[in-house]
Amino acid sequence: MSNFREQQQSNKRKTLLLLGVMGSLTAFVIYAFALYLGYASIGILPFAIGISVIGVWGSYYSSDKLVLTMTGAKLIDHDSAPQLFNLVQEITIASGLPMPKVAIVEDDAPNAFATGRDPEHAVIAFTAGILRVMDREQLQGVAAHELAHVANRDTLVSAVAATTAGAIALMSDLLLRISFFGGGRRNENGGSNPFVLIAALVAAILAPIAAVLLKAAISRNRESLADATAVAFTRNPTGLRRALETLASDSTVVHQKSNAVAHLWIESPLDSKMTSKLFATHPAIEERIANLRALEQTGPLNETA
Amino acid sequence: MTAIYVILGLLALVVVVGIAQYNKLVRLNVAVDEGFAQIEVQLQRRGDLIPNLVETVKGYASHEKETFEKVVQARAQATAAQGVAAVAEADGMLTQALRGLLAVAEAYPDLKASANFLSLQEELSATENKVGFARQYYNDTVRSLNESIVSIPGKFFAGPAKVSERDFYVVDDPGKRVVPNVSFN
Repeated sequence: MSNFREQQQSNKRKTLLLLGVMGSLTAFVIYAFALYLGYASIGILPFAIGISVIGVWGSYYSSDKLVLTMTGAKLIDHDSAPQLFNLVQEITIASGLPMPKVAIVEDDAPNAFATGRDPEHAVIAFTAGILRVMDREQLQGVAAHELAHVANRDTLVSAVAATTAGAIALMSDLLLRISFFGGGRRNENGGSNPFVLIAALVAAILAPIAAVLLKAAISRNRESLADATAVAFTRNPTGLRRALETLASDSTVVHQKSNAVAHLWIESPLDSKMTSKLFATHPAIEERIANLRALEQTGPLNETA
Repeated sequence: MTAIYVILGLLALVVVVGIAQYNKLVRLNVAVDEGFAQIEVQLQRRGDLIPNLVETVKGYASHEKETFEKVVQARAQATAAQGVAAVAEADGMLTQALRGLLAVAEAYPDLKASANFLSLQEELSATENKVGFARQYYNDTVRSLNESIVSIPGKFFAGPAKVSERDFYVVDDPGKRVVPNVSFN
C-alpha cells in the first residue's frame, strides 16, 4: 500500500479476480442445470441470459438520462455555478477526459455520483447539500473521485456484474421451478447419482446469494479503485480525505434510498447499520480515510514538475 | 514445410508487434503535443483574465503602480514566449507577479468584498489549477513517451516513427506551483 499507482493496480487485479469468480459461478450454475435436466435443456439458457442482458443493458445504455430523471438532477453550466463547473473542468484537464455533464440534485444530504455508458456520455452530479458543507479543496477531491469512476468505466463494470448476477438468479430460479414440477426431468445418462442431483439443487439455491455478494464485493473494490485514481488525478489525497471525513461526520442521508441507485453515490446512501458489511456497496468510510492517509504520508509520486 | 510456416509466423508476429509499437509511439507523441497545447490554452485564458483583474484592483488601489507594471510586463513576456522551456519560465514569472497583485488586494477590504473581484478570483484560481493540471498531464505523457523510447522494443521504432524524447515542463521554484494567495470560501 505504498502509492496510488500500486493501489490502482492491486484494485484492478482484484476486479479481474472477482469478475473471474463471477464467470466461474455462471459456468457452475450452467453445469448444475445441465446435470439436473440433461444437456438438451441448455437451449433454455440463452433466454435466461438474454433476459438479463436486455434488463440491465437498456438502463446501462441510457444511464445518463435515466439517472437524471430518477434523481431530478438539474444540469448546470459555467454561468449558473462557476466554481463547481471550474473544478470539474480542472479534473478533466488533469485526467484527459472529455468534459462531462454536471448536475445538481436538490437534496440536503451531502453526496455525489457519476454515471454514463462511456466518458463521452458521462454525467456527474452533486447534491445541494455537499456544495454547502464542503470547501473547494474537498469538492475537488469529490469531483476527482466521480471522474475516476468515469475513467475506470465503472458504469460498465457494474452493468456486467449486475447482468451476470441477474442471469445466475434467473437460471437458478428456472432450475428450482422445473425441479419442483419434476415433470420436465429427463436424464440422458440414466442412473445418475441422486446425491449429485441434490447437490445441484443446493447449488441453485446458494448461487444467487453468492452472486449478490460478489456484486457487492466488486462495487466496494471499484470504490477503492476510484479513490486511488482520484489521487492520481489531483495528486492531493488531502482533499478527498477531508471530504470523506465531512461525510463520515454528517448524519443526514440522501432521501432517495433506492437500492437500485445506491452504488452510484460517493457515500452509501443506505443506512450502514441496516446492510451488513458483506452486502455493502461501499467500503467502510474509515477504511477509505485510512487509505488516503497512507497516501498522504508517502507523499505525491516523485514529480518532475 | 513446417520451417516455412514457423518463419512466416514469426515474421507476422514481428510485423504485428512493430505496427503496435509504431502506433503507440505516434499516439503518445500526439498526446504530448495535445498536452502542451492544453497548457498554452490555459495560460492564454489566464492572460485574458489579467486586464480585467488589474482594472478591478486599480479601482480600489490606484497607487500600487509598481505591482501593476510587473503583472503587465510578465503577461507580455508570457504572450511572446515560444517553446517549452521559455513558456515555462514566463509562466513562473507571471504566477509570481499575480501573487504580488493578490497580496496587494488583501490590504483592501472593500476590494476583497466586491462581487466582481470575487468572481475574478475564482476564475483566476481555477485557471491556475488548470494550468497546474495541464502541466501534470503534459509531464505524465512526456514521461511515458520518453520511457517507451528508451526501453526495448520501443527503442527500435522511435526512428521510423520520427519520434524523439521530449522536454519536461519545469517551473523552477516549486513554490511557484502553488496557487496564488486565494481563499476558497
